[in-house]
Amino acid sequence: MAAADTPSASLRHHDLCSRGIRLARKMRSDVTDLLDIYVEQQGLDASISVAAVEGVPAAAAERWAEQTGTQRLLDNLAAYRAFRVLLAQMLEEQREQLGDANGELGPALAAVLLQVSAFAYHLEELLELESRRTPAEEGSEPPAPPRLSLFEQKLRGLGVLRELAQWAVRSVRDLRQLAKHGPGSSAALGLADSQ
Amino acid sequence: DSHIQYERVGADVTMKCGSMDWDAAVTWMANGTDIDDSHLNGSYLILKNVDLTQSGQYFCYEGSSWHLKYQTILRVGVPPKEPVLMCRSNNYPKGFYCSWHLPSPTYIPNTFNISVIHGTREMVCEKDVFPKNRCHIRYLQLFSTVKYKVTLTVTNALGKNSTSLTFDEFAIVKPDPPESVVAKPVPNNPRRLEVSWQNPSSWPDPESFPLKFFLRYRPLILDQWQHVELSDGTSHTITDAYAGKEYIIQVAAKDNDIGTWSDWSVAVHATPWTEEPKHLTTEVQITETTSTSTSSFMPPPTTKICDKGAG
Repeated sequence: MAAADTPSASLRHHDLCSRGIRLARKMRSDVTDLLDIYVEQQGLDASISVAAVEGVPAAAAERWAEQTGTQRLLDNLAAYRAFRVLLAQMLEEQREQLGDANGELGPALAAVLLQVSAFAYHLEELLELESRRTPAEEGSEPPAPPRLSLFEQKLRGLGVLRELAQWAVRSVRDLRQLAKHGPGSSAALGLADSQ
Repeated sequence: DSHIQYERVGADVTMKCGSMDWDAAVTWMANGTDIDDSHLNGSYLILKNVDLTQSGQYFCYEGSSWHLKYQTILRVGVPPKEPVLMCRSNNYPKGFYCSWHLPSPTYIPNTFNISVIHGTREMVCEKDVFPKNRCHIRYLQLFSTVKYKVTLTVTNALGKNSTSLTFDEFAIVKPDPPESVVAKPVPNNPRRLEVSWQNPSSWPDPESFPLKFFLRYRPLILDQWQHVELSDGTSHTITDAYAGKEYIIQVAAKDNDIGTWSDWSVAVHATPWTEEPKHLTTEVQITETTSTSTSSFMPPPTTKICDKGAG
Protein backbone atom coordinates (compact mmCIF):
# COMPACT_ATOMS: atom_id res chain seq x y z
CA MET A 1 0.00 0.00 0.00
CA ALA A 2 3.08 2.16 -0.48
CA ALA A 3 1.33 4.39 -3.02
CA ALA A 4 -1.22 5.38 -0.40
CA ASP A 5 1.38 6.71 1.98
CA THR A 6 3.20 9.24 -0.20
CA PRO A 7 2.88 12.96 0.71
CA SER A 8 1.12 13.65 -2.55
CA ALA A 9 -1.33 10.86 -1.81
CA SER A 10 -2.00 12.40 1.60
CA LEU A 11 -2.60 15.78 0.05
CA ARG A 12 -4.86 14.27 -2.57
CA HIS A 13 -6.66 12.27 0.09
CA HIS A 14 -7.28 15.36 2.17
CA ASP A 15 -8.42 17.27 -0.88
CA LEU A 16 -10.80 14.49 -1.94
CA CYS A 17 -12.20 14.28 1.60
CA SER A 18 -12.85 17.97 1.91
CA ARG A 19 -14.36 18.23 -1.56
CA GLY A 20 -16.44 15.18 -0.74
CA ILE A 21 -17.68 16.85 2.44
CA ARG A 22 -18.71 19.93 0.49
CA LEU A 23 -20.43 17.76 -2.15
CA ALA A 24 -22.30 15.79 0.52
CA ARG A 25 -23.40 18.93 2.34
CA LYS A 26 -24.66 20.48 -0.89
CA MET A 27 -26.43 17.24 -1.75
CA ARG A 28 -28.07 17.17 1.65
CA SER A 29 -29.34 20.70 1.25
CA ASP A 30 -30.70 19.92 -2.21
CA VAL A 31 -32.29 16.66 -1.08
CA THR A 32 -33.99 18.53 1.78
CA ASP A 33 -35.41 21.01 -0.72
CA LEU A 34 -36.38 18.14 -3.03
CA LEU A 35 -38.21 16.46 -0.17
CA ASP A 36 -40.33 19.57 0.34
CA ILE A 37 -41.18 19.71 -3.36
CA TYR A 38 -41.88 15.97 -3.46
CA VAL A 39 -44.19 15.99 -0.45
CA GLU A 40 -46.12 18.94 -1.80
CA GLN A 41 -46.38 17.76 -5.40
CA GLN A 42 -47.30 14.20 -4.40
CA GLY A 43 -49.91 15.45 -1.95
CA LEU A 44 -48.33 13.66 0.98
CA ASP A 45 -48.30 14.60 4.66
CA ALA A 46 -44.78 15.62 5.64
CA SER A 47 -45.06 13.84 8.98
CA ILE A 48 -46.17 10.54 7.48
CA SER A 49 -43.95 7.73 8.62
CA VAL A 50 -42.61 5.35 6.05
CA ALA A 51 -41.54 1.85 6.92
CA ALA A 52 -38.15 0.66 5.75
CA VAL A 53 -38.30 0.47 1.97
CA GLU A 54 -36.96 -2.68 0.41
CA GLY A 55 -33.88 -2.13 -1.70
CA VAL A 56 -33.10 1.23 -0.13
CA PRO A 57 -29.83 1.19 1.82
CA ALA A 58 -30.46 2.29 5.39
CA ALA A 59 -28.20 5.03 6.67
CA ALA A 60 -28.71 3.88 10.23
CA ALA A 61 -25.52 2.37 11.56
CA GLU A 62 -24.74 0.59 14.78
CA ARG A 63 -21.22 0.92 16.20
CA TRP A 64 -20.63 3.54 13.54
CA ALA A 65 -17.70 4.91 15.46
CA GLU A 66 -15.84 1.62 15.19
CA GLN A 67 -15.94 1.37 11.40
CA THR A 68 -12.69 1.41 9.51
CA GLY A 69 -12.07 3.93 6.78
CA THR A 70 -12.42 1.32 4.06
CA GLN A 71 -15.68 0.03 5.50
CA ARG A 72 -17.02 3.55 5.44
CA LEU A 73 -16.09 4.03 1.83
CA LEU A 74 -17.47 0.67 0.75
CA ASP A 75 -20.76 1.22 2.61
CA ASN A 76 -21.10 4.70 1.15
CA LEU A 77 -20.32 3.54 -2.37
CA ALA A 78 -22.82 0.68 -2.23
CA ALA A 79 -25.47 3.08 -0.95
CA TYR A 80 -24.98 5.78 -3.56
CA ARG A 81 -24.89 3.25 -6.38
CA ALA A 82 -28.23 1.99 -5.12
CA PHE A 83 -29.60 5.53 -4.88
CA ARG A 84 -28.47 6.19 -8.44
CA VAL A 85 -30.71 3.34 -9.61
CA LEU A 86 -33.59 4.29 -7.32
CA LEU A 87 -33.58 7.95 -8.33
CA ALA A 88 -33.42 7.01 -12.00
CA GLN A 89 -36.47 4.79 -11.47
CA MET A 90 -38.27 7.61 -9.68
CA LEU A 91 -37.46 9.99 -12.51
CA GLU A 92 -38.82 7.48 -15.01
CA GLU A 93 -41.98 7.03 -12.99
CA GLN A 94 -42.46 10.79 -12.81
CA ARG A 95 -42.16 11.08 -16.58
CA GLU A 96 -44.61 8.26 -17.09
CA GLN A 97 -47.14 9.73 -14.66
CA LEU A 98 -46.86 13.41 -15.40
CA GLY A 99 -44.94 13.72 -18.64
CA ASP A 100 -43.50 17.21 -18.90
CA ALA A 101 -46.01 18.54 -16.40
CA ASN A 102 -44.00 17.31 -13.45
CA GLY A 103 -43.23 20.94 -12.60
CA GLU A 104 -40.23 21.45 -10.35
CA LEU A 105 -40.06 17.84 -9.31
CA GLY A 106 -38.50 16.38 -12.43
CA PRO A 107 -35.63 18.86 -12.70
CA ALA A 108 -35.00 18.73 -8.96
CA LEU A 109 -34.88 14.94 -9.06
CA ALA A 110 -32.57 14.99 -12.06
CA ALA A 111 -30.25 17.46 -10.33
CA VAL A 112 -29.98 15.27 -7.23
CA LEU A 113 -29.45 12.19 -9.39
CA LEU A 114 -26.51 13.96 -10.99
CA GLN A 115 -25.04 14.79 -7.57
CA VAL A 116 -25.49 11.22 -6.39
CA SER A 117 -23.66 9.95 -9.47
CA ALA A 118 -20.87 12.48 -8.97
CA PHE A 119 -20.56 11.53 -5.34
CA ALA A 120 -20.40 7.83 -6.17
CA TYR A 121 -17.60 8.57 -8.60
CA HIS A 122 -15.87 10.63 -5.90
CA LEU A 123 -16.03 7.68 -3.51
CA GLU A 124 -14.50 5.42 -6.14
CA GLU A 125 -11.60 7.84 -6.44
CA LEU A 126 -11.09 7.76 -2.70
CA LEU A 127 -11.18 3.97 -2.67
CA GLU A 128 -8.60 3.82 -5.43
CA LEU A 129 -6.42 6.14 -3.40
CA GLU A 130 -6.71 3.65 -0.58
CA SER A 131 -5.21 1.22 -3.13
CA ARG A 132 -8.39 -0.76 -2.96
CA ARG A 133 -10.04 -2.20 -6.02
CA THR A 134 -13.42 -0.57 -6.45
CA PRO A 135 -16.08 -3.28 -6.22
CA ALA A 136 -17.68 -3.91 -9.59
CA GLU A 137 -21.29 -2.85 -9.94
CA GLU A 138 -23.68 -5.79 -9.77
CA GLY A 139 -24.73 -6.71 -13.27
CA SER A 140 -25.43 -4.17 -15.94
CA GLU A 141 -29.21 -4.23 -15.69
CA PRO A 142 -30.56 -2.76 -12.41
CA PRO A 143 -33.35 -4.81 -10.74
CA ALA A 144 -36.82 -3.90 -12.03
CA PRO A 145 -38.78 -1.79 -9.54
CA PRO A 146 -41.49 -3.69 -7.66
CA ARG A 147 -45.03 -3.43 -9.05
CA LEU A 148 -46.71 -0.92 -6.70
CA SER A 149 -49.87 1.12 -6.56
CA LEU A 150 -49.52 4.82 -7.22
CA PHE A 151 -49.75 5.64 -3.50
CA GLU A 152 -47.24 2.94 -2.62
CA GLN A 153 -44.93 4.36 -5.28
CA LYS A 154 -45.23 7.80 -3.72
CA LEU A 155 -44.45 6.43 -0.25
CA ARG A 156 -41.52 4.50 -1.60
CA GLY A 157 -40.15 7.66 -3.20
CA LEU A 158 -40.53 9.49 0.09
CA GLY A 159 -38.66 6.70 1.84
CA VAL A 160 -35.87 6.86 -0.73
CA LEU A 161 -35.42 10.62 -0.36
CA ARG A 162 -35.55 10.54 3.42
CA GLU A 163 -32.94 7.84 3.56
CA LEU A 164 -30.79 9.73 1.06
CA ALA A 165 -30.96 12.84 3.25
CA GLN A 166 -29.74 10.80 6.20
CA TRP A 167 -26.96 9.25 4.08
CA ALA A 168 -25.78 12.69 3.07
CA VAL A 169 -25.26 13.60 6.74
CA ARG A 170 -23.63 10.28 7.42
CA SER A 171 -21.30 10.74 4.47
CA VAL A 172 -20.19 14.12 5.82
CA ARG A 173 -19.35 12.42 9.12
CA ASP A 174 -17.68 9.48 7.41
CA LEU A 175 -15.51 11.72 5.28
CA ARG A 176 -14.54 13.75 8.31
CA GLN A 177 -13.43 10.59 10.03
CA LEU A 178 -11.46 9.67 6.90
CA ALA A 179 -9.92 13.13 6.73
CA LYS A 180 -8.67 12.70 10.28
CA HIS A 181 -6.63 9.71 9.17
CA GLY A 182 -4.40 9.63 6.13
CA PRO A 183 -4.98 7.40 3.15
CA GLY A 184 -4.37 3.69 3.60
CA SER A 185 -5.04 3.76 7.34
CA SER A 186 -8.11 1.64 7.94
CA ALA A 187 -7.66 1.90 11.72
CA ALA A 188 -10.93 2.03 13.60
CA LEU A 189 -11.44 5.45 14.96
CA GLY A 190 -10.99 6.63 18.50
CA LEU A 191 -14.55 7.74 18.90
CA ALA A 192 -15.43 4.17 19.88
CA ASP A 193 -13.98 4.45 23.35
CA SER A 194 -15.85 7.66 23.99
CA GLN A 195 -19.23 6.41 22.67
CA ASP B 1 -51.99 0.37 62.39
CA SER B 2 -50.94 3.74 61.07
CA HIS B 3 -51.33 3.98 57.37
CA ILE B 4 -51.44 6.80 54.89
CA GLN B 5 -54.74 7.91 53.54
CA TYR B 6 -54.72 10.05 50.39
CA GLU B 7 -57.63 12.31 49.63
CA ARG B 8 -58.27 14.90 46.96
CA VAL B 9 -58.55 18.56 47.79
CA GLY B 10 -62.26 19.30 48.15
CA ALA B 11 -63.25 15.75 48.98
CA ASP B 12 -65.47 14.80 51.93
CA VAL B 13 -63.63 12.35 54.21
CA THR B 14 -65.13 9.97 56.76
CA MET B 15 -62.90 8.16 59.22
CA LYS B 16 -64.10 5.30 61.41
CA CYS B 17 -62.51 4.77 64.80
CA GLY B 18 -61.09 1.40 63.97
CA SER B 19 -63.49 -1.35 65.14
CA MET B 20 -65.42 0.89 67.49
CA ASP B 21 -69.20 0.98 67.09
CA TRP B 22 -70.85 4.04 65.64
CA ASP B 23 -72.31 5.01 68.97
CA ALA B 24 -69.15 4.43 71.02
CA ALA B 25 -67.70 7.33 73.01
CA VAL B 26 -64.43 8.33 71.41
CA THR B 27 -62.02 11.24 71.18
CA TRP B 28 -60.42 12.30 67.91
CA MET B 29 -57.19 14.28 67.75
CA ALA B 30 -55.41 15.81 64.78
CA ASN B 31 -51.76 16.75 65.02
CA GLY B 32 -52.06 16.75 68.82
CA THR B 33 -55.16 18.90 68.97
CA ASP B 34 -58.64 17.76 70.00
CA ILE B 35 -61.20 17.85 67.22
CA ASP B 36 -64.43 19.36 68.36
CA ASP B 37 -67.67 17.45 68.23
CA SER B 38 -69.01 19.43 65.28
CA HIS B 39 -66.87 17.16 63.08
CA LEU B 40 -68.21 13.98 64.62
CA ASN B 41 -71.13 11.81 63.55
CA GLY B 42 -71.30 9.32 66.36
CA SER B 43 -67.78 7.94 66.57
CA TYR B 44 -67.09 8.77 62.92
CA LEU B 45 -64.92 11.75 62.03
CA ILE B 46 -66.37 13.75 59.11
CA LEU B 47 -64.15 16.18 57.26
CA LYS B 48 -65.98 18.19 54.61
CA ASN B 49 -64.29 19.70 51.52
CA VAL B 50 -60.79 18.97 52.83
CA ASP B 51 -57.94 21.27 52.02
CA LEU B 52 -54.16 21.00 52.15
CA THR B 53 -54.00 22.32 55.72
CA GLN B 54 -55.93 19.28 56.93
CA SER B 55 -53.10 16.95 56.01
CA GLY B 56 -51.63 15.42 59.15
CA GLN B 57 -51.81 12.67 61.73
CA TYR B 58 -55.20 11.67 63.09
CA PHE B 59 -55.70 9.58 66.25
CA CYS B 60 -58.87 8.06 67.75
CA TYR B 61 -59.01 7.04 71.42
CA GLU B 62 -61.65 5.01 73.19
CA GLY B 63 -63.64 7.41 75.41
CA SER B 64 -62.93 6.25 78.94
CA SER B 65 -59.80 4.11 78.66
CA TRP B 66 -57.96 6.39 76.21
CA HIS B 67 -56.88 3.30 74.39
CA LEU B 68 -55.62 4.25 70.93
CA LYS B 69 -58.06 2.63 68.56
CA TYR B 70 -57.09 4.13 65.28
CA GLN B 71 -54.49 6.34 63.72
CA THR B 72 -53.86 7.47 60.17
CA ILE B 73 -51.83 9.97 58.24
CA LEU B 74 -54.06 12.02 56.03
CA ARG B 75 -52.41 13.41 52.93
CA VAL B 76 -54.52 15.85 50.97
CA GLY B 77 -53.42 16.44 47.40
CA VAL B 78 -54.40 16.38 43.74
CA PRO B 79 -53.92 13.97 40.84
CA PRO B 80 -51.00 14.84 38.50
CA LYS B 81 -51.58 17.10 35.52
CA GLU B 82 -50.03 16.22 32.14
CA PRO B 83 -46.27 16.37 32.74
CA VAL B 84 -43.95 18.54 30.65
CA LEU B 85 -41.33 16.42 28.88
CA MET B 86 -38.24 17.59 26.99
CA CYS B 87 -35.58 15.52 25.24
CA ARG B 88 -32.32 16.87 23.95
CA SER B 89 -28.90 15.75 22.76
CA ASN B 90 -26.18 18.04 24.02
CA ASN B 91 -23.49 15.40 23.67
CA TYR B 92 -24.17 14.06 20.16
CA PRO B 93 -23.44 11.40 19.01
CA LYS B 94 -23.19 9.77 22.43
CA GLY B 95 -26.84 9.96 23.32
CA PHE B 96 -29.61 12.20 24.57
CA TYR B 97 -31.33 12.96 27.83
CA CYS B 98 -34.97 13.53 28.70
CA SER B 99 -36.11 15.68 31.59
CA TRP B 100 -39.55 16.38 32.92
CA HIS B 101 -41.53 18.32 35.46
CA LEU B 102 -45.13 18.72 36.54
CA PRO B 103 -46.80 21.99 35.62
CA SER B 104 -48.22 22.27 39.15
CA PRO B 105 -47.55 20.50 42.46
CA THR B 106 -49.63 17.57 43.64
CA TYR B 107 -48.62 17.81 47.32
CA ILE B 108 -48.33 14.06 47.50
CA PRO B 109 -45.61 11.69 46.26
CA ASN B 110 -45.52 10.94 42.52
CA THR B 111 -43.75 8.22 40.63
CA PHE B 112 -42.52 8.72 37.06
CA ASN B 113 -42.07 6.01 34.48
CA ILE B 114 -40.43 6.67 31.12
CA SER B 115 -40.29 4.46 28.08
CA VAL B 116 -38.14 5.12 25.01
CA ILE B 117 -39.01 3.24 21.83
CA HIS B 118 -36.93 3.38 18.67
CA GLY B 119 -38.75 1.52 15.92
CA THR B 120 -39.46 -1.79 17.57
CA ARG B 121 -36.70 -1.54 20.14
CA GLU B 122 -37.16 -0.37 23.74
CA MET B 123 -34.16 1.56 24.98
CA VAL B 124 -32.90 1.92 28.52
CA CYS B 125 -33.18 5.35 30.08
CA GLU B 126 -30.62 5.49 32.84
CA LYS B 127 -31.94 7.70 35.60
CA ASP B 128 -29.69 10.35 37.07
CA VAL B 129 -29.28 10.47 40.83
CA PHE B 130 -29.43 14.22 40.44
CA PRO B 131 -31.38 15.89 39.09
CA LYS B 132 -34.02 13.28 39.84
CA ASN B 133 -36.34 14.12 36.98
CA ARG B 134 -33.88 13.25 34.26
CA CYS B 135 -32.49 10.20 32.50
CA HIS B 136 -30.03 9.39 29.74
CA ILE B 137 -30.32 7.24 26.65
CA ARG B 138 -27.30 6.04 24.72
CA TYR B 139 -27.58 5.97 20.91
CA LEU B 140 -27.33 2.42 19.66
CA GLN B 141 -27.71 3.56 16.09
CA LEU B 142 -26.77 6.75 14.29
CA PHE B 143 -28.25 8.34 11.15
CA SER B 144 -31.52 6.51 11.55
CA THR B 145 -34.67 7.71 9.79
CA VAL B 146 -36.75 5.86 12.36
CA LYS B 147 -38.26 8.21 14.90
CA TYR B 148 -37.88 7.94 18.66
CA LYS B 149 -41.01 7.85 20.80
CA VAL B 150 -40.64 8.77 24.48
CA THR B 151 -43.61 8.28 26.78
CA LEU B 152 -43.65 9.59 30.34
CA THR B 153 -46.27 8.39 32.80
CA VAL B 154 -46.74 10.00 36.21
CA THR B 155 -48.76 8.29 38.88
CA ASN B 156 -49.78 9.17 42.40
CA ALA B 157 -52.36 7.82 44.83
CA LEU B 158 -55.02 10.09 43.36
CA GLY B 159 -54.52 9.57 39.64
CA LYS B 160 -52.32 9.14 36.63
CA ASN B 161 -51.31 11.17 33.59
CA SER B 162 -48.89 10.86 30.71
CA THR B 163 -47.37 12.63 27.76
CA SER B 164 -45.25 11.52 24.85
CA LEU B 165 -42.81 12.98 22.34
CA THR B 166 -41.91 11.70 18.89
CA PHE B 167 -38.81 13.06 17.23
CA ASP B 168 -36.04 12.43 14.75
CA GLU B 169 -32.48 11.78 15.86
CA PHE B 170 -31.21 15.04 14.36
CA ALA B 171 -34.00 17.28 15.55
CA ILE B 172 -33.08 17.22 19.25
CA VAL B 173 -29.38 17.93 18.81
CA LYS B 174 -28.71 21.15 20.66
CA PRO B 175 -25.25 21.77 22.12
CA ASP B 176 -24.62 23.56 25.38
CA PRO B 177 -23.43 27.17 25.06
CA PRO B 178 -19.76 27.81 24.31
CA GLU B 179 -17.58 28.14 27.40
CA SER B 180 -14.72 30.38 28.61
CA VAL B 181 -15.75 33.31 26.45
CA VAL B 182 -13.07 36.02 26.66
CA ALA B 183 -13.05 39.44 24.99
CA LYS B 184 -9.97 41.66 24.96
CA PRO B 185 -9.04 45.00 23.44
CA VAL B 186 -6.37 44.94 20.73
CA PRO B 187 -3.52 47.32 21.64
CA ASN B 188 -3.23 50.29 19.28
CA ASN B 189 -6.55 49.37 17.61
CA PRO B 190 -9.33 51.55 18.97
CA ARG B 191 -12.01 49.77 16.91
CA ARG B 192 -11.10 46.13 17.53
CA LEU B 193 -11.99 43.55 20.10
CA GLU B 194 -10.61 40.02 20.16
CA VAL B 195 -13.13 37.39 21.22
CA SER B 196 -12.26 33.77 21.96
CA TRP B 197 -14.22 30.85 23.45
CA GLN B 198 -14.15 27.11 23.82
CA ASN B 199 -16.37 24.28 22.63
CA PRO B 200 -18.85 23.26 25.34
CA SER B 201 -17.14 20.60 27.41
CA SER B 202 -20.22 18.40 27.09
CA TRP B 203 -19.68 18.05 23.31
CA PRO B 204 -17.65 14.86 23.05
CA ASP B 205 -15.88 15.04 19.66
CA PRO B 206 -15.70 18.47 18.09
CA GLU B 207 -13.21 17.21 15.52
CA SER B 208 -15.52 14.64 14.01
CA PHE B 209 -18.67 16.59 14.81
CA PRO B 210 -17.55 20.20 14.44
CA LEU B 211 -19.61 23.06 15.77
CA LYS B 212 -20.24 26.36 14.11
CA PHE B 213 -20.76 29.53 16.10
CA PHE B 214 -22.86 32.65 16.16
CA LEU B 215 -21.42 35.75 17.79
CA ARG B 216 -23.53 38.73 18.78
CA TYR B 217 -22.19 42.00 20.14
CA ARG B 218 -23.37 45.53 20.80
CA PRO B 219 -22.21 48.59 22.68
CA LEU B 220 -24.02 48.92 25.99
CA ILE B 221 -25.40 52.23 24.83
CA LEU B 222 -27.31 50.59 21.96
CA ASP B 223 -30.01 47.92 21.89
CA GLN B 224 -29.37 46.61 18.38
CA TRP B 225 -27.14 43.53 18.26
CA GLN B 226 -24.66 42.90 15.48
CA HIS B 227 -24.25 39.27 14.46
CA VAL B 228 -21.61 37.21 12.72
CA GLU B 229 -21.73 33.49 11.92
CA LEU B 230 -18.45 31.57 12.01
CA SER B 231 -18.27 28.15 10.44
CA ASP B 232 -15.08 27.12 12.18
CA GLY B 233 -12.56 28.21 14.70
CA THR B 234 -13.17 29.47 18.23
CA SER B 235 -12.11 33.08 17.97
CA HIS B 236 -13.03 36.20 16.08
CA THR B 237 -11.84 39.78 15.90
CA ILE B 238 -14.49 42.47 15.90
CA THR B 239 -13.19 45.23 13.67
CA ASP B 240 -16.04 47.71 13.67
CA ALA B 241 -16.38 48.51 17.36
CA TYR B 242 -17.12 52.07 18.41
CA ALA B 243 -13.95 53.43 19.94
CA GLY B 244 -14.05 53.79 23.68
CA LYS B 245 -17.49 52.22 24.11
CA GLU B 246 -18.06 49.23 26.40
CA TYR B 247 -19.36 46.20 24.56
CA ILE B 248 -21.40 43.17 25.60
CA ILE B 249 -20.63 39.97 23.71
CA GLN B 250 -22.23 36.48 23.59
CA VAL B 251 -21.68 33.33 21.54
CA ALA B 252 -23.94 30.41 20.55
CA ALA B 253 -23.07 27.05 19.00
CA LYS B 254 -24.67 24.56 16.63
CA ASP B 255 -23.63 21.31 15.05
CA ASN B 256 -22.34 22.03 11.58
CA ASP B 257 -24.94 19.87 9.88
CA ILE B 258 -27.91 19.10 12.13
CA GLY B 259 -29.98 20.26 15.06
CA THR B 260 -30.56 23.69 16.55
CA TRP B 261 -28.56 26.52 18.08
CA SER B 262 -27.50 26.41 21.70
CA ASP B 263 -28.60 29.05 24.16
CA TRP B 264 -26.40 32.14 24.30
CA SER B 265 -23.25 31.90 26.33
CA VAL B 266 -22.65 33.92 29.43
CA ALA B 267 -22.23 37.57 28.39
CA VAL B 268 -18.77 39.15 28.60
CA HIS B 269 -17.93 42.83 28.52
CA ALA B 270 -14.97 44.62 26.98
CA THR B 271 -13.98 48.09 25.80
CA PRO B 272 -11.73 48.64 22.82
CA TRP B 273 -8.22 49.97 23.37
CA THR B 274 -8.05 53.75 23.82
CA GLU B 275 -4.97 55.97 23.66
CA GLU B 276 -3.53 56.96 27.05
CA PRO B 277 -4.55 60.59 27.82
CA LYS B 278 -1.43 62.83 27.14
CA HIS B 279 -0.03 65.03 30.04
CA LEU B 280 -0.37 68.69 28.74
CA THR B 281 1.53 71.47 30.61
CA THR B 282 -0.05 74.95 30.09
CA GLU B 283 2.14 77.86 28.65
CA VAL B 284 2.18 79.86 31.94
CA GLN B 285 3.89 77.05 33.74
CA ILE B 286 6.60 76.80 31.08
CA THR B 287 7.64 80.49 31.35
CA GLU B 288 7.64 80.41 35.16
CA THR B 289 9.73 77.30 35.46
CA THR B 290 12.40 78.65 33.14
CA SER B 291 12.82 82.01 35.03
CA THR B 292 13.06 80.64 38.56
CA SER B 293 16.43 79.82 39.93
CA THR B 294 17.22 76.41 41.08
CA SER B 295 14.39 76.39 43.60
CA SER B 296 12.67 73.12 44.35
CA PHE B 297 10.74 71.56 41.38
CA MET B 298 7.05 72.54 41.25
CA PRO B 299 5.03 69.84 39.46
CA PRO B 300 2.95 71.64 36.75
CA PRO B 301 -0.86 71.26 36.90
CA THR B 302 -2.07 68.56 34.37
CA THR B 303 -4.77 69.30 31.80
CA LYS B 304 -6.56 66.25 30.33
CA ILE B 305 -7.00 66.34 26.62
CA CYS B 306 -10.33 64.87 25.53
CA ASP B 307 -9.50 62.78 22.65
CA LYS B 308 -11.77 64.39 20.02
CA GLY B 309 -11.39 61.31 18.08
CA ALA B 310 -13.55 59.34 20.58
CA GLY B 311 -17.18 58.54 19.35
